[in-house]
Amino acid sequence: MPRRALMALGLAAVLPMSACTSEDEDNKGGKGGGRRAPGTLRILASSELSDMKPVLDAAREATGVTVEATWSGTLDAVEQVASGKADGAYEAIWLSSNDYLRLRPETAKKITSETPVMTSPVALGVRADVVRRLGWHPDQVTWARIHQAVADGKLTYGMTDPVRSNSGFSALISIASGLSGAQSALRDADVRKVTPKLKEFFAGQKLTSGSSGWLAQAYTRRGDVDALINYESVLLSLNRDHHTDLTVIRPQDGVVTADYPLTALASAPQDARDSVRALTEYLRSTEAQRTLTERTFRRPVVTSVRPAAPLSAAKRRELPFPGTRSVADGLLAAYENELRRPSRTVYVLDTSGSMEGDRLDRLKAALTQLAGADGAATGERFRDREEVTLMPFGSEVKAVRTHTVPEDDPGKALAAIRADAKALTADGETAIFSSLRAAYRHLAERASALGDDRFTSIVLMTDGENTAGDSADDFESFYRRLPGAQRTTPVFPILFGDSDRGELENIASLTGGRLFDATKGSLDQAFEEIRGYQ
Amino acid sequence: MGFREHAAAVRRIFGIVLAVLLIGGVIVAVVAGRDKDKGTATTTVRGVIGSEKAEFFADPDVVKALADKGVTVKTETSGSWAMENLPLKGYDFAFPSSESPAAELARKAGVNGTPLRPFYSPLVVVAHRNAAGVLADNGLATLTGKNTGTLKMAAYLKAAKEDRTWQQLKGSQKYSELNGVVSVTSTDPAQSNSGALYLAAASYVANGGRIVANDADVARTTPLLKKLISVQGAQQSSSDAPFRDFISGAANPLVLVYESQVASLLMQKQDVGDMVVLYPDVTVNSDHTLVPLTPEGRKLGELLSGDKKLRELAVRHGFRPQGAASEFIAATAPHTAYLNQRLTGVRQAPVPKAEVLRDLARRARS
Repeated sequence: MPRRALMALGLAAVLPMSACTSEDEDNKGGKGGGRRAPGTLRILASSELSDMKPVLDAAREATGVTVEATWSGTLDAVEQVASGKADGAYEAIWLSSNDYLRLRPETAKKITSETPVMTSPVALGVRADVVRRLGWHPDQVTWARIHQAVADGKLTYGMTDPVRSNSGFSALISIASGLSGAQSALRDADVRKVTPKLKEFFAGQKLTSGSSGWLAQAYTRRGDVDALINYESVLLSLNRDHHTDLTVIRPQDGVVTADYPLTALASAPQDARDSVRALTEYLRSTEAQRTLTERTFRRPVVTSVRPAAPLSAAKRRELPFPGTRSVADGLLAAYENELRRPSRTVYVLDTSGSMEGDRLDRLKAALTQLAGADGAATGERFRDREEVTLMPFGSEVKAVRTHTVPEDDPGKALAAIRADAKALTADGETAIFSSLRAAYRHLAERASALGDDRFTSIVLMTDGENTAGDSADDFESFYRRLPGAQRTTPVFPILFGDSDRGELENIASLTGGRLFDATKGSLDQAFEEIRGYQ
Repeated sequence: MGFREHAAAVRRIFGIVLAVLLIGGVIVAVVAGRDKDKGTATTTVRGVIGSEKAEFFADPDVVKALADKGVTVKTETSGSWAMENLPLKGYDFAFPSSESPAAELARKAGVNGTPLRPFYSPLVVVAHRNAAGVLADNGLATLTGKNTGTLKMAAYLKAAKEDRTWQQLKGSQKYSELNGVVSVTSTDPAQSNSGALYLAAASYVANGGRIVANDADVARTTPLLKKLISVQGAQQSSSDAPFRDFISGAANPLVLVYESQVASLLMQKQDVGDMVVLYPDVTVNSDHTLVPLTPEGRKLGELLSGDKKLRELAVRHGFRPQGAASEFIAATAPHTAYLNQRLTGVRQAPVPKAEVLRDLARRARS
C-alpha cells in the first residue's frame, strides 16, 4: 500500500530543549524503528491534518509535546496497525475516523485512549453558477436529486479514491445509503440493490485522486468540472484560499462525518502515552477548539466554542458506517471493479541501457506486483475492465502492448501483462519526450476507435535525462496544440535512479500530473500509490 | 611539557564541572526542600479508566485535591470490557464503569477485599428537541419539562422490533434530520460498559420484566437485541466519543450516555443548546467501580469514596456519590430543567451475571 514521504510537522521551528541532544539528531524525520526524542510523538495521521500545523505549534508551546506526523491514507494506516508494523514505529494514530479500524477486531488490543477532537462531514461543493443552473436550494438537496442531475448529464464532479482515502470512502457510503433508501446501517443486499444507480452516479465522476490535496488542485486547473465531493472543511478552505466559490451542500438525507479521534497505541511507552494524554487535553481546550474551527473550518466537540461562521447549523442525519467488514469491503470491491468508470493507462517505461541489471529487475517486480494474481486485495492489482498499455522505450518506442482486464476472467490478461513485463530488455538511449508524444497519440487512437468513456492517464518511469528524440520544448508545443479533451490526460512521472527532478516536475505541471519520488521509497510503492490517481 | 599542561587543563575543567554540579545540587536541594514544605512526598498512581471519567481526573482542582493527599494520578482510557485485553502490569488500579467488568478484572488480577464504588450515574438518552418532541407526540416518551423527560422503554422496544422509522411517526416531516429507523446509538456492548448496560436494560424489558438468567431467556431476547445493535452499524468503543459526536452535531438523533456526562456540562455552566435528557423508565445505574491492583491504588479508591473535597468534585463532574443523595441534589438544584434529581419514575433493572451479559453482547453483534 502507498506511503507518502513523511513530513515532520513543526520540525522547522525550534525544538524543545529536551530534544536538542545530538543523539536525537538521527531521529529527525526518521520513521519506523528509529529512536524517539523525549516529548516527541510520532503520529501516523490522515493527510488532510497537515492544516492543523498552527494548532500543533501552539500545543507544543503549551504542553512541550512535539508532533512528528507521517501522512497516510486511512486504510493503509489500519493495515499498519493490524499487521503490527505500527508498533514501535509510532506512538499514536490520528485518522479521520476509526470506523474502518473497528471492523478489524484484532486491532482492539492495539489501541487505547481514543478521543474525538473535531468533526467534519463529507459534503458536495458545487460551483455557484451550476447551483443556479440546476435551480437547487442548497438546504433541500438529497442524494437522489444529485444522482438525477448526474444521470441527466447535468452535473460532473471529482472525488478521491475510496480505496485510499477516507473522504472517498465516506462519500461512497453516503451515496449508497442515500440511493438505496436503507433505513439503517447498509447491508450486502442494499449494496446489490443500488448497484445500477451507483453505476449511473459514478459515470459523472470526472476526477479521481489518491489525496484530497491533489484533487483540489486538479479541480482548479480543469475548470470544466462542476463539483467536488470532500470534507466540508476542505471545501470551505478551498473557497478561502483559492476563491473557488463552491456552495457547500450537506445532502438532506444524511452525511457521514469524520471525527478525528487521537488514539494512543497500546505498544507506546508510558511517557509517550502521557504525552498523548497531555496533547488530547490541550486539543479539547477552549483555546485549541476555537483556533481549529476558525482556521480549519472543522466543527468543535465542546459546547463552549461555537462553530466558525461559514459552518451551517442546520441538522443532518448521520448515516451509519457499515457494521461488518464484508459490507465495507464489498462496497470497495464493487466500486473498483464494477461501479467506477474504467481507466485507460499507458505506462511509458524507460528501458534504455542504463536500466540494465538491478533497475530493470525492480521495474519488472513492480509491474508484476500490479499484475498480481487474481486473488489480490482490492486496490492492489489492475482493476477489472482496466485497459493497460506497456510502452517500453529507449532511443525510440520499442513496443506497444495493450491489454484489457476482463471482468469474467481477469487471470489471463494479468498473466499476459506479467509475461510482457518479464520480457523487457534494456538497451539504447533515453527518448523521453518522443515517447510521451507517442503515448498521447496512442490514447487518442484508442479513444476514437472504441468511443468509450474512461479515466485516462500516462505514467512515465525513467532513470535518466532525455538524450534522444524530441526536446522538452518540442513536447510542450505538441501538448499545447492537442485538442482540449486530450489535454486533460495527466502525466505522472516517477523520479528514479538518475532522472532529472526539474525535467520531470515540468512535465507534471505542464500536463496537470503529479511527481512521485521512488528514490526515497521503493519503485513498487510509487507504482502502487499512483493507482489512486488512475 | 604536553602532559603536565594537559593535566592542569583537566584539573581546571574538573573544577568548573564540580562548581556547576555544586550549584546544581544547591538548586535541587532548594527545590526538594520547597516540595517538602508542601507536605508529604507524592506517589504517582497509574490507572486505566472509562473515558467518561477522563475529564474528572484532568480537572486541575481534582489534581490539587489529590496532591494535597500525596497522590498524583496518571490515567489512560479504555472501554470497560476492553480493559481486560490490556496488559495490566504497571497499573495501580483499573476503574471501569460498572461492577461486572470490575469483578472480572479483580478475579483476573487476584484482588481480594471489597470493591470500591465511590460514585454512580444512571444511563440516559440525549436528544435534540425536535426528536424528543416527536417521540412524545407518538407515545414513545413523556416530557416532564422543556429539557427533560422519560423514554418509555416498552414502547421504544416495540417500535424497534417493528423497524419503525422516523418518517412513520407523526410530526417528523418538518425535520429533515429525522429519517431512518428510530434507534438509540450506544457503544459496542462487547467492549464498553454503557453499550453492555443498554442490553441489560433492554433484555430485562424484553424478558417480561425479569432478569435474563438462562438459555431460554437468552434465546427469547436475542432477536430484539440483535436488531438494536445491527441497525447502528459500526459502534464506538468508549462512551465519550458518541457524546462528543452528538455535541458537534454529527450523530444519530438519540444517543445513550451517562447522566454524569450531561450533568458535568451543566455544572460548568456550558450551553447545551436544545438538548433534552430522556431517562429510560427502565434503566441501569453505572456503578463506577475501582479495582485496586496495588496498595497505592486502594488508597486512591478510599480517598475518592471518603474524602469530602473529592466527593464534592465528583459531583461537579456530574457523578452521584454513593451513600448520600443530598450532595448531588444540592449541587444540581439550578439544573432541574434537565436533570431528574430523584430519578422519579425510573426503575432500576438488575444486571445479568457477567458471563450472561457477555453472551448477550456476543449474540447481539453476530
